[in-house]
Amino acid sequence: MSVFMDLNISYTTDRKRLQAMIETAAHLGYSTVAINYTVEFQQKKQEIPRPKSVTELFEKLPIVQGKSSPIKVVNRLTVVTADAAHFRPTAEYKSFDLVAVYPKTEKLFHTACMTFDVDIICIATTEKQPFHFKRSPVNGAIERGVFFEICYTPAIRDSTMRKYTIANALCLMEICKGKNVILSSAAEKVLELRGPYDIANLGLVFGLSEGDAKAAVSTNCRSVLLHGETRTTAFGIIHTVKKVQPTTKQTDEAEAPASKKTKTENI
Amino acid sequence: MEEPATFERHVYKNASVYHYMKMSLILEDESKRLIAAEFKQLIVSGLRDLYGEIGAAIPFDLLTFDESTKTAILRVYNSGLVKLWSAITLIGSCQNELCAVRVTQVSPFLLALCGNSRETELD
Amino acid sequence: MSPELERFPRNILVCERSNFLNEKSRHGIHVSKHYFNYKVSIFIPECGILPAGLSSVIKSFNSYFLVQKLPVYKLIEEVFLDEVVKKGGFYALSHKTRIDEDNTIAFLPSGQMILSLDKDTYEQLGLEGKPSLYNHRNARRYVVTVDFTDKSMTVGGKRYQRVLLGLKERVPLTCDFLLSRYSTGTDEDGALQGLLSQYSFEVIRPAQYSQTLRIVPCPTLHPSDLQGKAGSCDPHQFLEWLGSVNMGIRCDNSASDFLSTYVCPEPQDSMSQALLYTITGFLIPEDIQSLLQELQRYFDEPKFSPWLSLTVHGFVDSPVSWGTMEHGFLSSGENFYNFVCFKNQDYWLHMATGALDGCPP
Repeated sequence: MSVFMDLNISYTTDRKRLQAMIETAAHLGYSTVAINYTVEFQQKKQEIPRPKSVTELFEKLPIVQGKSSPIKVVNRLTVVTADAAHFRPTAEYKSFDLVAVYPKTEKLFHTACMTFDVDIICIATTEKQPFHFKRSPVNGAIERGVFFEICYTPAIRDSTMRKYTIANALCLMEICKGKNVILSSAAEKVLELRGPYDIANLGLVFGLSEGDAKAAVSTNCRSVLLHGETRTTAFGIIHTVKKVQPTTKQTDEAEAPASKKTKTENI
Repeated sequence: MEEPATFERHVYKNASVYHYMKMSLILEDESKRLIAAEFKQLIVSGLRDLYGEIGAAIPFDLLTFDESTKTAILRVYNSGLVKLWSAITLIGSCQNELCAVRVTQVSPFLLALCGNSRETELD
Repeated sequence: MSPELERFPRNILVCERSNFLNEKSRHGIHVSKHYFNYKVSIFIPECGILPAGLSSVIKSFNSYFLVQKLPVYKLIEEVFLDEVVKKGGFYALSHKTRIDEDNTIAFLPSGQMILSLDKDTYEQLGLEGKPSLYNHRNARRYVVTVDFTDKSMTVGGKRYQRVLLGLKERVPLTCDFLLSRYSTGTDEDGALQGLLSQYSFEVIRPAQYSQTLRIVPCPTLHPSDLQGKAGSCDPHQFLEWLGSVNMGIRCDNSASDFLSTYVCPEPQDSMSQALLYTITGFLIPEDIQSLLQELQRYFDEPKFSPWLSLTVHGFVDSPVSWGTMEHGFLSSGENFYNFVCFKNQDYWLHMATGALDGCPP
């Protein structure tokens, strides 16, 4: 198993609230979190935000509960759209460590699974999934190392959304058999965050097995981060990472060379 | 006086009928007080919300509730563990106020709840 | 409703009954093989203050060290290996590392080193190991066991060099460590002090806590009835009751109560008072052994109580529970044992493990 992660903490301009959420995530035992910026394409022209640098947020990142290392914070972009034309991986996308898409139509879901250069595909949690999950796109996404995300915050907020979340999750599990699923919070408030073991248990309600559920908050999230790294580098961006001496016991997993990735995943 | 024992050994697998959970309630207004019965009621409602009347009927015991820290220990039959735990996870409000119930430990042995090396800092 | 929602993590409880005076009794082995102990608690019915004999044994418990950012290879360099690790009685456990998330390292008093590693670290290190028994789908964790007392591991030899270079150059693993050494009285700690002096460290005394409980209902125990078949309570009920006493859980309930229906198992007695004494830290089996010996002497003088109990909790993030048996953490990581000592030197031993662990020895 890898360290626990929550790859979806909603970005807010309220700096204090964002800090409090990250502190709480560290306190709950998450070693990595992603701050999620959402763009929703209602009109054609929509600006892609620029992610804030983490150093702006914290001078010193909070220490993860029970460990000696600080929490790692990455940035993520989620594109909510019904139209494939809205998904244009421009240079602006590349300033994010992770890119997710929330497809609103079956056609777009299919394209996202088969061709989009994304790390995460979001499953609806605030409405009934407006289309059936089909085997071929789901398997296509799994083969390409793309992960499906189910967020639990709507299920905490509202009983109707809870029904949608559970129903959509159960439908997905019938097709993906528990593979390539991540569970994240999409929290906007501190009190919406839950601990990793709580979420692993909640995964059983979503139709995951015990092992798959725990992987959905740990190992699978790690694969998403690795996928994000290869995606940004594959675009030919010059991306120099100072090779940190793996001094801690946690040889920072995200820094494993990209070339190793495929090998790692197939065994 | 009984005769000194001769060697005897038994292995029990999953023979513990219960699981035990340690948790604490976090309220938005930290100064707000809650009594044990209200806390138990909160969890019963959580069970009903997620699992209906059958859920609300899942038997569990509130073994302790410390009003000052809002920390509790629950006992539940093994078969009710996942349901009770998930219902607790999804509790999001308490008396019209945002809240979270943070589960800190789960074990099939009550005794293990007083010896958790993750809980205390040695230094 | 999905059957998955009715399932629960497995657990094992082993119960043994024997007599301390029995030559073949294995109580000593079980204690000495449970290497990494976090908490000890003694429960003596009808007792108000800790008897002097016990008090002095607890005072003599070893201090332990908490060292920060210690490179693992420092523990296997020639001098340290010869002077400390191979001499026996040396215990080390990585601190603030979680067995279900992080690389975890342990040194056993038998001269073995256990590395429980994630797949990336394992592959980079290139030492021979085995996939963890508790992997899911793909192998993500590996366990490397190196026995430094093995002939093929002699210092300077090829295999030794490989381990040393691996941990020094290929993957310079570093973490906080809890260290302790069973001191035999002679001044042999030079190498250990020498190592510690290079790093930031603390010497810590085990923490003690004493509590006197008043009027406690308790189940009646019969030494011959370990399983609770002749009318007394079964082992799980006893352990539950002991837990309830440890945590101040009330048992004056009835089956119709709303809050809790927990009651003390029948048949029951009431004790006027009881002593609950706990010690926490990085406690070595040798110290627990002497504590157990002293507890056996408790009944040398006439006492009101027919029994007393000793509970020992292991570290939940240790890579081993008993001996080299692999230990893991699913939603909990319990590994503990409990002795009930009777007047006639009979004892019960309960050994418990959780979902990712073997059957206690």
